[in-house]
Amino acid sequence: MIGPVSTALAPDLAPPTTPGGRGGGTVRHLATKLGGAVVSLLMVIVLGFFLFRVLPGDPVKTITRGAPVGPQQLAALRHELGLDKPIAAQFVDYLAQLARGDLGESYQFRVPVSTLIGERIGPTVLLVGVATALAILVGLWLGTRAAWRRGSRFDRISTGVALLLWSAPTFWLGLVLLTVTGNLFPSQGLINPNTPAGFLPQTLDLLHHLTLPCLTLVAVLYAQYLLVMRSSLLEEMNADYLVTAKAKGLRDDLVRRRHAVPNAMLPTVTLIFLNLGLVVSGAVTVETVFSWPGLGLLTYQALQGPDLPLLQGLFVVLAGAVLVMNLIAELLYQVIDPRVRAT
Amino acid sequence: MSTPSPTAIAWQRRRAAVGRVWQEFLSDRGGLFGLAALSLIVALAVFAPLLSDASGLDPTHATGRPLEAPSGHFLLGTDNLGRSVLLQVWWGARISLLVGVLATLVSVGIGTLVGVAAAHFGGWTSAVLMRFTDFFLVLPSLVLAIALSTVLNRGIFAIVLAVGVTSWPSTARLVRAQTLAVESRPYIERAWALGAGHVHVIIRHVLPAVAALVFANTTLTVANSIIAESTLSFLGLGDPNAASWGEMLNAALGSGAVTYGAWWYLLPPGLAIALVVLAFMLAGRALETVLNPRLRER
Amino acid sequence: MGFRRLAAGLVATALALLGASTATGAGAPTAHAADQKVLRVAVTTTVASLNPFLASHAADTEFGRLMYEFLTADDQKDQHPIGGLADKWDVAKDNLTWTFHVRDGMTWSDRQPITSRDIAYTYNLMLTNPTAGTANGNFVKNFDTVTAPDEHTVVIKTKRPQATMLALDVPIVPEHVWSKVTDIGKYTNLQFPVVGSGPFVLTDYKQDQYATLKANPTFFRGRPAIDELQFIHYDNPDAAVQGLLKGDVDLVSRLTPAQFNALQGKPNIALNKAQGHRLNDLLINPGAQTNTHERIGDGNPALADVTLRQAIAQAIDAKTLVDKVYGGYAEVGSGYIPPVFSQYHWSPPADQERGFDLAAANRTLDAAGYPKGTDGIRVDKTGKPLTLRLLGDSGTATDQPSSQYVKSWLGQIGIGVDVQMVSSDKFSDAGVAGRYDLAFGSWGANPDPDAVLAVQTCANLPDAAGNGNSENFLCDPDYERLYAEQSAELDTAKRAEIVKQMQARLYELDTSVITAYPNQLEAYRSDHVTGFGLQPDPGGVITQQNGYWGYYYAKPAAAAEQSAGAGLGLLIGIAVAVVLVAGAALLVVRRRRVNADERE
Repeated sequence: MIGPVSTALAPDLAPPTTPGGRGGGTVRHLATKLGGAVVSLLMVIVLGFFLFRVLPGDPVKTITRGAPVGPQQLAALRHELGLDKPIAAQFVDYLAQLARGDLGESYQFRVPVSTLIGERIGPTVLLVGVATALAILVGLWLGTRAAWRRGSRFDRISTGVALLLWSAPTFWLGLVLLTVTGNLFPSQGLINPNTPAGFLPQTLDLLHHLTLPCLTLVAVLYAQYLLVMRSSLLEEMNADYLVTAKAKGLRDDLVRRRHAVPNAMLPTVTLIFLNLGLVVSGAVTVETVFSWPGLGLLTYQALQGPDLPLLQGLFVVLAGAVLVMNLIAELLYQVIDPRVRAT
Repeated sequence: MSTPSPTAIAWQRRRAAVGRVWQEFLSDRGGLFGLAALSLIVALAVFAPLLSDASGLDPTHATGRPLEAPSGHFLLGTDNLGRSVLLQVWWGARISLLVGVLATLVSVGIGTLVGVAAAHFGGWTSAVLMRFTDFFLVLPSLVLAIALSTVLNRGIFAIVLAVGVTSWPSTARLVRAQTLAVESRPYIERAWALGAGHVHVIIRHVLPAVAALVFANTTLTVANSIIAESTLSFLGLGDPNAASWGEMLNAALGSGAVTYGAWWYLLPPGLAIALVVLAFMLAGRALETVLNPRLRER
Repeated sequence: MGFRRLAAGLVATALALLGASTATGAGAPTAHAADQKVLRVAVTTTVASLNPFLASHAADTEFGRLMYEFLTADDQKDQHPIGGLADKWDVAKDNLTWTFHVRDGMTWSDRQPITSRDIAYTYNLMLTNPTAGTANGNFVKNFDTVTAPDEHTVVIKTKRPQATMLALDVPIVPEHVWSKVTDIGKYTNLQFPVVGSGPFVLTDYKQDQYATLKANPTFFRGRPAIDELQFIHYDNPDAAVQGLLKGDVDLVSRLTPAQFNALQGKPNIALNKAQGHRLNDLLINPGAQTNTHERIGDGNPALADVTLRQAIAQAIDAKTLVDKVYGGYAEVGSGYIPPVFSQYHWSPPADQERGFDLAAANRTLDAAGYPKGTDGIRVDKTGKPLTLRLLGDSGTATDQPSSQYVKSWLGQIGIGVDVQMVSSDKFSDAGVAGRYDLAFGSWGANPDPDAVLAVQTCANLPDAAGNGNSENFLCDPDYERLYAEQSAELDTAKRAEIVKQMQARLYELDTSVITAYPNQLEAYRSDHVTGFGLQPDPGGVITQQNGYWGYYYAKPAAAAEQSAGAGLGLLIGIAVAVVLVAGAALLVVRRRRVNADERE
């Protein structure tokens, strides 16, 4: 789905059903999952090649855009890029390249795709990482309180605001933020080239640039953490042990901190990893609004043209990230949820 | 009504169930608000041709000056071509809702088909279908949707397909889980024993049982689809001839509304999207809570 | 109540931020050190490559011009060829042998002398290495030999006479740097500072973030007035305009009419409405063909009839398009070469001009045997209703509104129009394959008209694999003859005469109807910067010139107080950091308190 969080509000957080669970089930289960991931990755690799070949546009025309080039030059360039070969031969080349760990060379930028992705992954990880961390903090904090005071005005307002922010289109929220904050924050990019060298000024300038895109993402992201925390905490609170704990006369606050919250955190932890991969590709719009030089922006640029090697590389990397994150989520579930571990 | 037929009994039971659900739904304030807002918006959208004059949407008949601030005459001001923003938001609801609903139909259709088939037939079919579903879940869907809408000819159906085709996997998983639960119930086994075929079991027993939850899920998908449509429009992949809210925003951005400070042109379409999505979310969540026993106990 | 405390904290932080920003005078002019005069330019297009042999995007070539001087240059005032690295030149009687004298005493930015060998090296590299010819190979493809008999002389022998010898848009690179490059295609040219000969030297570049160029003190025309030129990348044009209003950048180009209008009257913002070098037209597919004259595409065969095309052209009101669609920010279309290149521009004399005349177009079609059917739509000579597809690029803002007008006008002369708006890539695919009846087109012209004239020649028709650069599949014997004549005519006045005849021929053929020459719209901070060298002057552009005059002559505005924008950034950065640290501290403190509670 589209937008950073789309799937997320109805995530499938049920404990994985373990096929043939008894005795060594965990290992077998993980092995199955790993195998599945590998199959998915192979399918991604194949789809990545064929999907983008269908795109309209002639890469050779895009590369020479504006320059007065004749038919002979175009033909030479087409040959150099290997675009005059039959699709099947191109596919074999692509697979052979991938097997060597080579993602090829971008048509428009004329540098290896791996270099481009390497340069852009940092800003995206920074943006998505900080935004997710903040969204989790805010979401869990508000979610805990909302659950504890279920039905109160606080519950209704904080849940309502979170849902409203989640409902707004990300790019629109970003533009509104950009306009209303006036001169407080820069309008583009990662860093101001005039910032003096040195760790402290560079870091501070980076934070300055990070604020708006990060706030936009947090505003959109935190709702799901709030909701998941709220509902899993509500579930916990009905559990027998909590009723007992309360009956023993333990203070509310203490009960919440020591018993309910840690247990209710479980679904959240998996949600974090399930989402991380999706958020990366969903950052396209935020990166476009704030000219944040990350993977999302690179993807959008690659689609114009189309820059086939770059698209293929990004597709594999983005899908791969989701696969890895899903595996981690799976693993974490096995490790931290005693109920799953027991089966 | 002395000897009601089995079908009649079944219907009666279903009617009663719907009544129960309705009663419970009414107790959820958020859901009620969502439903009320939705009803109002849908009614306004459907009856727009009766209640307002569409000629105001034609730039050649525009009566206002470009980017006029809100006034008594134009409650939400005018756009860059001198048309009433309010009228455009109103009519935009038709397109946005249409795109949302159609995309959802595509998505839920595929999702239900795959989900039911995976659960019902089990074995290899299930393994292959679920592998396929997991594969789709992993794909960077915005990238896929952008690629799809580039390939397809411009138009709202390109958007509908792009959104629909990329958003079905979660429905498929939900439906599969629900179908598995339903099919393990004794009455299905009884039906099998009585010699029912696949078609009969699926149509008469499985689908009605999963329909409710699918419906609840649908409302969430509509919400997602509307956001997705606006995102694609923002990236310049929308249909400029279909004046959805997303296209309106795109036009506002393209016409320098941000620079001009024309908040009356920039805010209403975005707020409209947020409001409709919120209404769908609230109604959907409430419905889900009512229908899903696991959630209801909370 | 934790929530209230947090809310109070947030409000306090917000207030502190506001206070901090007003205290330092947000929006004041910016430079990173008091003695540095910096010009910051917003770039909204992608910079793909800074290797001058590969660079072909508009933004790339602009960098090439700033970093490397060419053999000859285009004058700032009227764009006629003037000296570049060469200050004098001569052509032998055979019209094939050109001798250029290289200016004395020039050095590269690393103080190595610039000699004729660098020039010969550059051209020969492009002649021998196909990769080096990627961007500009077309300029040298007619070269036979390039030699440097002594360090002040370059001799170029061409195979046929070539009129464009003073318009070779080829950045000349230093041999002592580039001879060490092993693979031209993989060389990024980002070894800072990049050794060059232009007014500025590239000193830093982060792709899709920024590029920094410092004034070149060894530039032979003298050091530029500003010390540093920064290109700041924006993906979102609206954000770029916001950046201009905020003072993050000093100059923004490629504005939309709406943005341009919205900027009118804003304090400290000056606007430049410049004559552009593009021509926009409506293509009428006369029957698409390959270079072996195989028919391709699915254009309506009726359009092969020149009378029908002329009637269509007569039904297009370029004036209305300029007023309504371009918001007045364009010149009304007439001849093929834009009026900014006044020497070559042609517009039809009064007796040849058709004008916009629906009645006349209707009469022409009635007489030519296209009778109207009962539904008001004419039928063609095979009896089929005359309904044409109009292909528009949804990435071009003017295509969609223009199509509505074209549809309405053609409807009034009994021709049905089916408008199809498609993505840019799809649009270009359909263009190459000839899958359209009518389509919107656009070309950028140069001071030398050769390149834009060439796209109408048979030589640029596509081959079977689609390698071609023809605008509209034209292959007309008269036009071919004139094209060959002008490319061999070394007398500028005579050549201009031929170029005008060619435009008259295109006007008769009507395979494309020139609709508008859009203005280039630019805006800058008048409180920061002034003195841009417009090209042409007056009425010309600051950015995307055929030269570097805009940036070269720019100087800080007298009123510009140098203050520290980065300083403000730092301050807000500090504030953000404080908020984060305070938040973390709050968490820790609460955690402690809870632990203490638990110990009770």
